[in-house]
Amino acid sequence: MIFPRGVIRRTDHQQAAETVYDAVIVGSGISGAIIANELSAAGHRVLILEAAVGDDITLRGYEGYLSDFYSAVSKDNQAPYPANLNAQMPRSTDVRQLVPGAVDASSYLVQNGPFASDTTYTRVLGGTTVHWEAKILRMLPEDFQIRTRYGQGQDWPVTYEQLAPYYVQAEREIGVSGEVEDQAYLGISFDDGYVLPMHAMPLSYLDRMVAKDVDGTEVALDGERYSLKVRSFPQGRNGIPNPAYDGGQGYTPVGAVSTNQVEEGGRCQGNNNCVPICPVQAKYHAGKTLAKALSSGRVDMLPQTVASKVHIDTDSGRVTHIEYKAYHDPSSPEHTTGTVRGRIFVLAANAIENPRLMLASGLQSTSGLVGRNLMDHAYLLNWALLPEVAGTMRGTVCTGGICDLRGGSFRRRQAAFSIDIHNDGWGWATGAPDTDLERIVDKENRFGASLRHALVDQISRQLLLAFQTEVPPSESNRITVDPAFTDNLGNLRPIISYHIPEYTMRGVEYGRRLAQRIFARLGAEDHTFYDPSDYGYVSYGGAGYALRGGNHLAGTHMMGTSPGNSVVDERQRSWDHQNLYLVGGGSLPSIGTSNITLTLSALCFKSARHMIDQLRDETAPARASAA
Amino acid sequence: MPTPTPPPPPPLSRITSREVLHQYLYAAMQLEHATIPTYLTTLYSMHPGTNSDAYHVIRVVAVEEMLHLTLAANLLNAVGGKPDLTGPDFVPTFPAYLPDGEDDFEVSRQRFCKDAIDMFLKIERPGPAPTEEDRVKPKKDKAKPNLASLPDDPGLRFFSIGEFYVEIDRGVVALHEQLGQALFKGDRSLQVTPDYYYSGGGEVIPVHDLKSARRAINLIAEQGEGLGGGIYDDESELAHYFRFKQMLDGYYYQKGDSADKPTGPELAIDWDAVYPIKTNAGLADFPDGSELHAAALDFNVLYADFLGLITRAFNGQPQLLIDAVAGMFRLRDKANLLIRNPIPGSDGVNGAPTFELAAVAGKVAS
Repeated sequence: MIFPRGVIRRTDHQQAAETVYDAVIVGSGISGAIIANELSAAGHRVLILEAAVGDDITLRGYEGYLSDFYSAVSKDNQAPYPANLNAQMPRSTDVRQLVPGAVDASSYLVQNGPFASDTTYTRVLGGTTVHWEAKILRMLPEDFQIRTRYGQGQDWPVTYEQLAPYYVQAEREIGVSGEVEDQAYLGISFDDGYVLPMHAMPLSYLDRMVAKDVDGTEVALDGERYSLKVRSFPQGRNGIPNPAYDGGQGYTPVGAVSTNQVEEGGRCQGNNNCVPICPVQAKYHAGKTLAKALSSGRVDMLPQTVASKVHIDTDSGRVTHIEYKAYHDPSSPEHTTGTVRGRIFVLAANAIENPRLMLASGLQSTSGLVGRNLMDHAYLLNWALLPEVAGTMRGTVCTGGICDLRGGSFRRRQAAFSIDIHNDGWGWATGAPDTDLERIVDKENRFGASLRHALVDQISRQLLLAFQTEVPPSESNRITVDPAFTDNLGNLRPIISYHIPEYTMRGVEYGRRLAQRIFARLGAEDHTFYDPSDYGYVSYGGAGYALRGGNHLAGTHMMGTSPGNSVVDERQRSWDHQNLYLVGGGSLPSIGTSNITLTLSALCFKSARHMIDQLRDETAPARASAA
Repeated sequence: MPTPTPPPPPPLSRITSREVLHQYLYAAMQLEHATIPTYLTTLYSMHPGTNSDAYHVIRVVAVEEMLHLTLAANLLNAVGGKPDLTGPDFVPTFPAYLPDGEDDFEVSRQRFCKDAIDMFLKIERPGPAPTEEDRVKPKKDKAKPNLASLPDDPGLRFFSIGEFYVEIDRGVVALHEQLGQALFKGDRSLQVTPDYYYSGGGEVIPVHDLKSARRAINLIAEQGEGLGGGIYDDESELAHYFRFKQMLDGYYYQKGDSADKPTGPELAIDWDAVYPIKTNAGLADFPDGSELHAAALDFNVLYADFLGLITRAFNGQPQLLIDAVAGMFRLRDKANLLIRNPIPGSDGVNGAPTFELAAVAGKVAS
């Protein structure tokens, strides 16, 4: 995919100030990229503000990320990406156990507790999709009506069927490898003849070893019986194109992005370090969509430009302009301020930065729900040693899992979950394989052949089951701002207040017992241990569990049916501000048990349609009131 | 009213029978494979993480040769031949020779350096013969092997690789005139399809009729030598010749540039970030009994195995090409082992894979 050379630097702040764009978009992640691409393809002029340092996306630049990652001693999911004091990103190394009643302001994300969130997001061109895992799951039809069906959470103002055509667009844009036959469960349906762009990634040897003992296991829950089956997960990475795709037109995988032609990333090689970075760019990242958008000639971009305030005309409620702080040097807080104007404005900065910006601008919305109902999946990790070598550490991070408890009547009482089988062993739970190596060398004093055997024995048998557990919306889970906490540029930092609802803890408790049962069936030695001093430690029902976040941030500008019960409508348009869209995970009324990127991308395709309609129907730009 | 002139008859081809076509297509496979050891040797001689642009260009050209090899196998299968990469003469000895118009030039396995780039330029150089008569020339030195020798008359060789493929194209057209669709009697299930073969260099074309055959031939010829002219090809990609030339000129080409003047940004190369490997290294260069000698032998065994795997893939098991990806990683690791180690007693010259397969014929797993 060719990135148009010089396009990032083509526009300066002066020129941007002189233009009234059709759309101003804050954020160059997948939401912003999709909308910029759709709008520019429809002939509209778009400006993207990006807080991070940005330059032409080149292979050399990407290889810079790679060598930073390879040489990092401690590898977390931001390890490849340069720290930027003016556009800070939460890192998993930031999080620490919270002292009850005390606020932890030691890093960018201010933690108000009681639950310490280890969430991260990446502020680079392309956003968090540069580091994501790229697991692609549609939500279940019942996820859209969870209140009506189970009396929990909030219903969506759209149904699965209404979103389905946009799921198709998102699956095309991301480039998904999977088979629809494997995915038609729990009500998920596809149009006749629809196939995903590329064939499924094969289940790993580890998946198949687990499947041998787990497939067919029956569990009873809330009066219903469920049969478990290891199923392949659709992936947002390049596989074997399916010739039946698109009515037989097939699909051409999109590989690496650079300013001159490069041929890399045409197919996944199984490198296993998808998070935090795919060595060849077989994994989708929003740079692939940005390259297209920027090639249109109608999209301008201003990097190193942090949106700081959304200005509203008090009479009409419309956005008149967005104020920003632009820095020249990432290591210096010196900046200039300026404004940009557009006919419509789109906040696409993610479910934490969007509400942060709204609240910093004094915009709580009629419902008062801006920032509220923050959701992220609660992950319960369970890890064990299999009785025989299972080939752990091969393949993508996760190729298969168990989805049978994603839906069902039990959701009246307890959270649903899906189970990931981790091809990268105990890494997430224990820091394997580094910690294993350290232990084998330092504590067990092994070297030579003994060391090699121990590594194989202890690492290649590792099984980690990650239970991705639903978290329902809760108004006290929220993002707020406070003048006491500002960043390097003087912008208000996001404050996160979060707890794990009991509904989720009931699912967690059940999940732990199920994991133990699965390990027993496999003859695996359970090594799971939750340390009470762990930052994610939650006590429930007489036991303790160390929970992790999934970085699936949602809910903070929830969509709904009226200005009283939500922040945006089904178009992701603000009820209060007619030319303002808040897009991305923040709009989701529920997160179900699927990684949210496919769904938020589908919503963005839908919103882009509505934006194009609005631009066509309206003819005048907003004017500030004469006052 | 003037009588319309009849269309000219198709040019005569030396390829007058299916058997001769098989010989030509086997020679094409040899030809397309022959440069892969040189590209890979140069590629792996580069220090990791350096000269990214050069690394990627060389890699992409190597990958395209693999595509061409696969296309040649598809062509051979389509006309009822049997691809075999395991014959003792399949891999050339180095230095090998390719035609360069009036002369020929050496193709060597050498480190990344300006001479290597010059060599790559020659391999890629567009070379249509000035006249029909010039297309085929007698070899100046009959004893010297030339990769573009005529399979049906080894005392002769083609003016250029491009003319070699012109001959194949004419031959396919002429035989199709003779035999019709029966020319393509090969079992279609032998064809390698894009499922199992992928590369950025282009789509692999399953061959089953004249149209697909000529598309495949055209793809091989166009990607390499670009007899069509113009520095960008049909898909707006810069022809390889110019991607290499950029490296010597020190500047990128841009759309609109003429062939001799790149006007794009600077392309800086660190010519010192290279392992000092022995050119055309042979097993005889490594001391008997040394670890390096054993490792070089290992590489040759692995390479012979690999060619065996590819042969099986081309003979009815195309899905084996997926295993071949893992095989390529193993070859890379073994090549790196040789390239990063000095030859004992050689005063600073490193080893390299030797690609001498005849010696390991007996050791290969069948």
